[in-house]
Amino acid sequence: MKTTRRTFLYGCSATVTALAGTRLSFAGFGAATADARVLVVVFLRGGADGLSMVAPLAGPDRAFYEAARPHLALPVSGAGALLPLDGRFGLSSVAAPLHDLYQRGKVGVVLACGLTHDTRSHFDAQEYMELGTPGTRSTSSGWLGRLLATASDVPTSVLFPALAVGSSQPTSLLGARGTVAMEDPDHFLLNTGPWRWQDAQRAALRRLCNASSSPLHDASSRAMDAVDLVESLSLDSVPPAGGATYPENEIGRSLRLAAGMIRLDVGLRAVTLDVGGWDTHVEQAWSPTDGAFHALLGSLAQGLAAFFADLEGSPTGSWGERVTVVVMSEFGRRLRENADRGTDHGHGSVMLVLGGGVRGGVYGTWPGLAPEQLYDGADLAITTDYRRVLSEIAIRRFANPAISTIFPGYQGYTPLGVVEGRDLPPA
Amino acid sequence: MTRPHLADTPADTLSRYGSRRGVSGDLAELVRQKRAHRVAGRLDLVPQAATAGPRATAARVRRRLGGPPTAAEPVPSAAIVALNRLAFGPRPGDLEAFQALGASDGARLAAYVEQQLDPTSIDDSELETRLSAAGFTTLAKSAQQLWQDHHQGNPDWAIRVRPLVEVERATFLRAIYSRRQLVEVLADHWHDHFNVYAWEYIAAPTWAAYDRDCIRAHVLGNFREMLEAVAKSPAMLVYLDNYANHVAGPNENWARELFELHTLGAAHYFGVRRQHEVPRDPQGVPRGYVDDDVYEATRCFTGWTVDEDTGGVAYPADWHDRFQKWVLGTYFPPNRTAAVDGGQVLDLLAAHPATAQHVAWRLCRRLLADAPPQPVVDAAAAAFLAHHNSPHQLREVVRAIVLAPEFRLTWGQKVKRPFEVMVSAVRALGADLSFALDDELTDALLWLFEHTGHARFAWRPPDGYPDEAHHWLSTGTLVATWRLLNWLLDAGDGKGGHAVAVLPPAGVGTSAAALADWWIAKVYGRPMPASFRDEIVAFMAQGRGSTVPLPVATDSDTEHRLRAMVGLLFIAPEFLRR
Repeated sequence: MKTTRRTFLYGCSATVTALAGTRLSFAGFGAATADARVLVVVFLRGGADGLSMVAPLAGPDRAFYEAARPHLALPVSGAGALLPLDGRFGLSSVAAPLHDLYQRGKVGVVLACGLTHDTRSHFDAQEYMELGTPGTRSTSSGWLGRLLATASDVPTSVLFPALAVGSSQPTSLLGARGTVAMEDPDHFLLNTGPWRWQDAQRAALRRLCNASSSPLHDASSRAMDAVDLVESLSLDSVPPAGGATYPENEIGRSLRLAAGMIRLDVGLRAVTLDVGGWDTHVEQAWSPTDGAFHALLGSLAQGLAAFFADLEGSPTGSWGERVTVVVMSEFGRRLRENADRGTDHGHGSVMLVLGGGVRGGVYGTWPGLAPEQLYDGADLAITTDYRRVLSEIAIRRFANPAISTIFPGYQGYTPLGVVEGRDLPPA
Repeated sequence: MTRPHLADTPADTLSRYGSRRGVSGDLAELVRQKRAHRVAGRLDLVPQAATAGPRATAARVRRRLGGPPTAAEPVPSAAIVALNRLAFGPRPGDLEAFQALGASDGARLAAYVEQQLDPTSIDDSELETRLSAAGFTTLAKSAQQLWQDHHQGNPDWAIRVRPLVEVERATFLRAIYSRRQLVEVLADHWHDHFNVYAWEYIAAPTWAAYDRDCIRAHVLGNFREMLEAVAKSPAMLVYLDNYANHVAGPNENWARELFELHTLGAAHYFGVRRQHEVPRDPQGVPRGYVDDDVYEATRCFTGWTVDEDTGGVAYPADWHDRFQKWVLGTYFPPNRTAAVDGGQVLDLLAAHPATAQHVAWRLCRRLLADAPPQPVVDAAAAAFLAHHNSPHQLREVVRAIVLAPEFRLTWGQKVKRPFEVMVSAVRALGADLSFALDDELTDALLWLFEHTGHARFAWRPPDGYPDEAHHWLSTGTLVATWRLLNWLLDAGDGKGGHAVAVLPPAGVGTSAAALADWWIAKVYGRPMPASFRDEIVAFMAQGRGSTVPLPVATDSDTEHRLRAMVGLLFIAPEFLRR
C-alpha cells in the first residue's frame, strides 16, 4: 500500500491508477507517526506591534515607552496592568491566557527579534522571512518546506506532512511535497453535481489528472488525494478535549481545525496559520485593554490556550509534548505612536515559542528604547535574527541540523536555549 | 490636532488585512447592525483570514515552477489564445466570429485586437438589457449622489452596501455577457493594481463610482489620470488612511503603497537608506526610492482628505505641511498647497521609468505569463513612456503587449484564477444567469464562489489578488472551484428544471462520442489529446459502445450523466490553461 500511495503522489502512472481504483485509503495511516513532533507556525500578517504584547515594566526604557506612546502604552498598574514575566518585562493583560501558560513554563518570549534585512515593506518582509533568505526573492522554496524536505522522520508513507489552514498555502511551505490547504472540512468534499455520477466522475477526473505530470495535473492530483484524506477523517471523533474553549471567530476556528487535524494523527509535521489584522496604522486602541489590536491579541491568546488544553487533554498521542508553536510577524511597529493613535511600520518585534519542549522564560538581548538605541532612530532594534529561533527548533526539536539548506547563507548559529533538545552541529 | 472629519466614522471597517478600527458614539450601533448582518447574510462569508498573502516575483515563480506551469500543449489557434487571454473564454459563436475576421491568424488577431481596443465601436446591447433586467439602481449615480444616498445620515447597512452589491453582480454579468471583453479583463486587472478592500464603511457606498470613474474609465486611457482619480477617491483615501494624514500627525500608509504597489514597484525599493545613496540614471533621475522618499511624499500628501459634505477630496489648508520637501531627487519649494505638492508627486511617479517597467510587468504577468519575457515587458514600458501624455496611453501599452509575438508563444503559462474559471465555464455553457438582486441562484453561486478565495473586491491587503499559479493551485482553491462548477451543472431553476441546459441541438447525435466531441469543441475549442477525449467518451458511454445512441433526452439518469460529463470538462486540469 505504501508503495502505491507513494507512486500516486510522485508518479501518477496510469497503471497504478488502474490498480488502485478511485480513491486512496488512509486507514491505519497514523501508525507510522508515533512520537513524531509537530511545528505550528502562526504568522501575524500586517506587522504586529510587539511593544503592545510585551513591554518594559520599569527603568529608563519604561519612561521612553510611555513618552512615545501617550495613548498606547500598556500600564504597569491599575486596570489592564502588564502581567509580569521576569521583573523587567510584562505581557499585555489581554493575553492573560498566555500568561497562565507562561507560569507553567510553557512559553518562551524572544525579545527584539525579527528580520534583520532593511525593509519596511510588508510584502518584502513576509517574503524574505518565509523564503528564509533575507534579501533574496529568487529562492524557489520556503524555509518550512525545506525543513520538511530535510527531516529524517517524515516517511514517504506520509502523503501530507503539512496543513495550511486557509484556502491557499503560505510561501513558507513552498516546495513541501504535500500540503493540504483547507479552511473548512465541510467545504472540502466532492459532493456537488449530479449525485448518481459523482463517484464515476471522480474516478474519471483521477485518470485525467494522472495522464500528465504537468504542474496543473500534479496539483489537481494532490487536491484529489487531499479530498480522499479529509473524507476519511472525522473531526467529530476528536472533539475539543481538556475543557478547551476556543473563541468563536476565525482565530478560534483555525486553531480548532489545527488541533483536530493534529489529533487525528495522519502524519502532520507542520501546520501554518495566518492571522490578519495587525497593520494598525490608525485607532490601534482606545485604551490599553480595548480596541482592535487588543481584541485580536486577546483572541489569539485565548485560542492558543484552548489549543494546548485540547492537545494536552487528548486521551491519546501525548500531543502537548509533541507540538511546538511559534508566533511571528514580518516586523514590529514604530516606537512612537502616530497622531491617529496607531503605529507605522517598524522593525524589531517579539517571537513567542509555546508548548512541547519549551523552556519558559524571556530570551534575547533587549536593545533599549533610548533614541540612540533605536533602529534608524525610530524603531526597536533587532538583536535576535528570527532564523536563530527557528534553527534551534529545527535542531533541538526535530533533530534536523540542515541549517545551511533550511536557511541558506545564515551564519553563526548558536542556540538561545528556548527549547529543550540535543545540540547537533549545524550542517 | 483636530481630528480628521472621518476620524469618528471609519467604524469597524474590516479593511486592511481585517483590521478593525475604532468605533465611537452612535457608530457603534451601526457596526453592531453591520455585524449582525454579516452573521445573517452573505457578508459573513467574505473571507475573514485577511492576510497579506504570499507574493512572488517573476524570477521566483520561474524558478519555483521549473518552467511554464502548463507547458506540454502545442500553441493553439490565435482565436483560442485571444479568447482566453483578452476575453474570459469563448461563448458560443465567438470562435466562428473570430475566424471571420481575416484570412490568416495574424490578420484575425490584429483585427480582433483593434476591435477590442475600440470598445465603443462594439455593440453591447445584450449586456445593457441584462443589466437593466437585474434591477440595479445605483450604478449610474454620480459619486456625490452615492455619497448622499448611501453614506450621509448613516443609512442601514443594506443601503450603505447596495452600490457594492450591485457592482459585484454587474461585474459577473459584464465578464460573462459583455462583448467588450478586453475592457472586462483589464478592469479585473486594474482593480488588483489599485486594490481596495470594498466591504467596508466608506468603500462600499462609493463603490459604483470607484469602479466606474477610477478604474473602468481609464483602463485604455492615461495612467496619470487613473492614478489621480484613485488617489482622490474616498475609497482609497480611507483604505490607506491618507484621509487622516495631517501635518501634526503624518500617516505614511498611502505614500508607501503608492510607491511600492501602484507606481515604481517593490523591485525599485532601495530599503531603509538615504536618498543620496540611490543610484541615478543618465538623466539624473534616481532609479528607485527609499524610505526617505516615502516620508517626504507623506508630507506632500498631508491634507488630502475626504470632504464630508460631498465625498470628494478636500484640502483643508492648515492640514498641509508647508515646508520644502525632496521627492525622487526633485525639490519641492515651501508654501505650496497640498493639491500642488501631491499632484507633483503623482507627476513624478507617473513619468518615472521604473513605473513604466512596473506597470508593464504587471500587465504582462496578467496577460502572458507568471514570468513574462523581458523583451515584451520592455516594449510595453517603452510604449508607456512614449505615450505618457496621451489620453490613450494604456491602450498603446496593451497593444504593444498583445501584438508582440510572445503573446501567442507564451500560451499555457497562465493558470486561470477562480473568477476566470467560473466565468469561462458559464460562457462556454451559453448559460442564462440573471445575477439579479434577490435571485436565489445568484446568492448560492456567489456563496460557493467565495470559498475559492477569489471573491470580488474582498482582498484585504493592498497588493491585490495574487497572480501566480502556485497560489491558485492550492488544494483549497481547486476543491472549492470543483464544487462550484459541479454545483452549477446540477443547479435547479426553481421551476423543476435545471438552471443550465446541456442537451445539444438536434442533429448533433446522442452517442457518447457525439456528445463528448460536441462538448469538447464547445468548452475547449482546440484539439485535445486522444487520451483526454477517450476518457470523456468512456465516461459518457459507461461501458456501452461509443457510437450507440443514448436516451439523453428522455432518460433523466442519462441526462444527469451528461451533466456530470460537462462538469468533468470544466474540472479537468486542462481547463485551467490560459
